[in-house]
Amino acid sequence: MIWVSWRRQRAQLITLLGVLLVGAAAVVLLRSNMIGAIESLQLTGCVAQTGPECADADAADRFRAAWTNPLHLGQAAILLLPALIGVFLGAPLFARELEQGTHVLAFTQSVSRTRWMVSKLVVALVPAVVVLIALQHLVSWWLSAAGVLGPRNSGSFHFLNFGVEHVSPVAYAVFAFALGTFVGAVSRRTLVAMTAGLGVFTVARFALSDLVGHLVPPQRVEAALGEDLKVYQDGSLVTGRGWLDTSGRVVPDDRADALNLACKRSVTEAGTAKSQEEYLACLPESGLATTYADFVPESLAWQVHLVDAAIFGGLAVLLLVGTALVLRRQS
Amino acid sequence: MTPLTATAVGKRYRTRWAVRDCSFTIPEGKVVALVGPNGAGKSTLLRMAAGLVRPTTGELSAFGTPLRGRTHPDVSFLAQNRSLYRDLTVRELVRACAAMNDRWSTDRVHEVLGLLAGVDHDAKIGALSAGALTQVAIAVALGRLPRLLLLDEPLSDLDPLARDEVLRIVMTEVADRGTTVVMSSHLLSDLREVCDHVLLIDEGRVQVDGDVEGVLAEHRVLVGPAADEAGVEGKLIGATRSGRQSTLLLRGAGPAPAGWVSTEPDLESLVVGYLRASRERRSSAQRGHAGRGAKSA
Repeated sequence: MIWVSWRRQRAQLITLLGVLLVGAAAVVLLRSNMIGAIESLQLTGCVAQTGPECADADAADRFRAAWTNPLHLGQAAILLLPALIGVFLGAPLFARELEQGTHVLAFTQSVSRTRWMVSKLVVALVPAVVVLIALQHLVSWWLSAAGVLGPRNSGSFHFLNFGVEHVSPVAYAVFAFALGTFVGAVSRRTLVAMTAGLGVFTVARFALSDLVGHLVPPQRVEAALGEDLKVYQDGSLVTGRGWLDTSGRVVPDDRADALNLACKRSVTEAGTAKSQEEYLACLPESGLATTYADFVPESLAWQVHLVDAAIFGGLAVLLLVGTALVLRRQS
Repeated sequence: MTPLTATAVGKRYRTRWAVRDCSFTIPEGKVVALVGPNGAGKSTLLRMAAGLVRPTTGELSAFGTPLRGRTHPDVSFLAQNRSLYRDLTVRELVRACAAMNDRWSTDRVHEVLGLLAGVDHDAKIGALSAGALTQVAIAVALGRLPRLLLLDEPLSDLDPLARDEVLRIVMTEVADRGTTVVMSSHLLSDLREVCDHVLLIDEGRVQVDGDVEGVLAEHRVLVGPAADEAGVEGKLIGATRSGRQSTLLLRGAGPAPAGWVSTEPDLESLVVGYLRASRERRSSAQRGHAGRGAKSA
């Protein structure tokens, strides 16, 4: 049965292998070129950390101007690959059989529908995931060669960085694939499955990207009035912010806004030179003692990745079960 | 053990009944012609017998085992569109079908592929002629070593020579292995030579079910004066009237009255008679005439 599925998927699998080879060659070439550029600009020391020892800020700017776009493209490829797996491997998997009526051949042999389905899924999905992981690690290897000079500088929670790290790409790919197979089994039209699958995947990806951060228990920091919170600069994922009153309770946003505005007004009406100090004195009097932020530190990004993978993986399992049910009822 | 039994089988697609209250038994070793107009439910019935479609009501069983969404191991099905993997070669297709079956005879497949002009094993399925395509489809269906072979329109799209050859392959199988065959077709003249049992379906219901010889012997075509139909006995199936002459198809007819000529119908005129009668019933029902059976008993 595996042979049958392999033979039916041969064209796609060869294409996948081609994507892997071309992708790997491109990454290896680009990386070695980039390392050459780093060395010629004498930025080798700046890869690990920026700071005073990276004396030549101009060289770093020139490096970024030349290499930020290629590095972002590498990340975009890993972000895009799950969608492509869903569109070109998931969507046609059953839709094409149903469209051409060839499922009848398999359904009237002694192999069970479930085994037929599972073997097709495995033969299509496993190589795709392997290629995706390989390319993900290649791009990651390239990104780490640029270090803080590259996109990694914007922190693990940046949209581009988060989507290409840890288990997230695999989870997106499995979800996109399952979505494609499900829409294909229901619609029985390859083109419908490809377009509708891509649309739903894109919407789900954007809709859920904000949600995952809120599902990890955050830590809270407070700052006295006039002080800045470090979490906005150190790459943490800030999931909530606001004001606390003198006894440490959260002040509702609309109330805090009203109080804040009232203080600002009183200060502007007074019009004195010490307006900033008066403003800071006004706030605790009206009940706004400190500001706070809820955040997930960058070191706990793996937790967010696991939550992300659980959500997309769970959806994928539901979609595959749905596909199986649809195919069982298929005539 | 009867190859196929249907008990009050019905299949509804949304609001339309494709097959309704069908009951019949296919005797072992027969070659059954499943006939009826387009949309009569022949394909649905065969797909239900193949375990592809689940009946809405009633039950089908093959060799005593009720069919529940799976093809019986002793049953092979040839779909109307042939449903073969078109991008594979004949050799690869045979290998694929072998992989999908527990009981399989590659020798049998090669034997059938070698019949007639023979099929090139390295040809792509998609590049085969309609006749060769049907030969390959039948070959892989027979590779399962079935005891019941279900053929949905095996002769459609075939030229007369290919039709004849396909029927010869089927008859060789019947002669060699005693396989029971049910085939649906519009080509009644072709079926007549090979079929010994007829199952006529119309509007999803069984109209005629029986041995071809027996069914034909039971019916009479009477030709006589249109003005004098009173003396004709038997159940009137259908009639065509042109000018003063009437041609009547009757079931269980008595002796022909004076002035009438009685002959036994051939399969084609029998089936055409039934189909014309049912079409007239349908159109008169659509017009809302009270006398639904005005022209037929």
